[in-house]
Amino acid sequence: MAQEAKFETDFWKDANLRKVWDEIVPGEPRKTIPYTLTREAIELYCKAVGETNPLYLDEAAAKAGPFGGLIAPPSIHILLMFACTPTDDWMRSPGTINAGQSWSYNVPARPGDVIRLEARALDKFIKRGRLFVVHDNVFFNQKNDVICSGRGQTIRPM
Amino acid sequence: MTDIFENLKDGDTIEGPSFAVSRESIRLFCDASLDYNPLHLDDDYMKGSFGKTSFGGIIMHGMNNFGLISRMLTDWAFPAGGIHRRLETRWLKPVRPGDTIRPTAIIKAKQTTARSRWVLLDVMVSNQNGEKVAAGEAMVEFPVAKAA
Repeated sequence: MAQEAKFETDFWKDANLRKVWDEIVPGEPRKTIPYTLTREAIELYCKAVGETNPLYLDEAAAKAGPFGGLIAPPSIHILLMFACTPTDDWMRSPGTINAGQSWSYNVPARPGDVIRLEARALDKFIKRGRLFVVHDNVFFNQKNDVICSGRGQTIRPM
Repeated sequence: MTDIFENLKDGDTIEGPSFAVSRESIRLFCDASLDYNPLHLDDDYMKGSFGKTSFGGIIMHGMNNFGLISRMLTDWAFPAGGIHRRLETRWLKPVRPGDTIRPTAIIKAKQTTARSRWVLLDVMVSNQNGEKVAAGEAMVEFPVAKAA
């Protein structure tokens, strides 16, 4: 499995290896890692935001429901974003501030999906003394179906 | 069978459950999202300034707001035969441990397209003081086949 063995939770580690705003090239693909979504990861995410919908948590109910089996909540991309990016990615730079996002949803992610991210900075600019980057992200499942696509802006640490 | 889409009206309101924000809920969100940015973990770091912004202590992940809005929309849409298709949000105020936040949505328009039907909603999250901490827009699709 291409998945990282252990997720590095210390975002300061190797912080000096990450690109700063000046080095980010809009249009350049970011290095990403395939990630196998597990039922346990979905359950933990559900717990963190209070999701109780049986479509995400109850196998029998989900099987009888509109998707024919368990699915992840649409907003699971919140987890996928970090799960699919390596430790030297600038998304992890301490002090990165999320300035807003928009996401479009196509097919649901499911437990067992091997998920791939295609990501890049699409633009960067300076506004009122702050350094912005525009993000462009698309998640695919193992069948190459688009799960969701997102656009966002972060303010980069100075 | 009642067609839920037909009965929806501009101005209809949807409310999600309230959410108590604590150090523990923020830490749990770190573990669930793998976002361990020190903005959400390190009080000493948060005493510093960030360009022109100063927070004074740890703050909740902005995407926690996003997750709460998404949960409200799916819990409303799925039983009605709707599919949550889009969510756009921006953060207006930081959320801190001790705050209680709650998402709401208001239907602002319905749109029929060549192949489907859509509900457009204004969404927001408010804190215990009635202040908006996040705002945005959402789209929920009500496929025609579901109405037959």
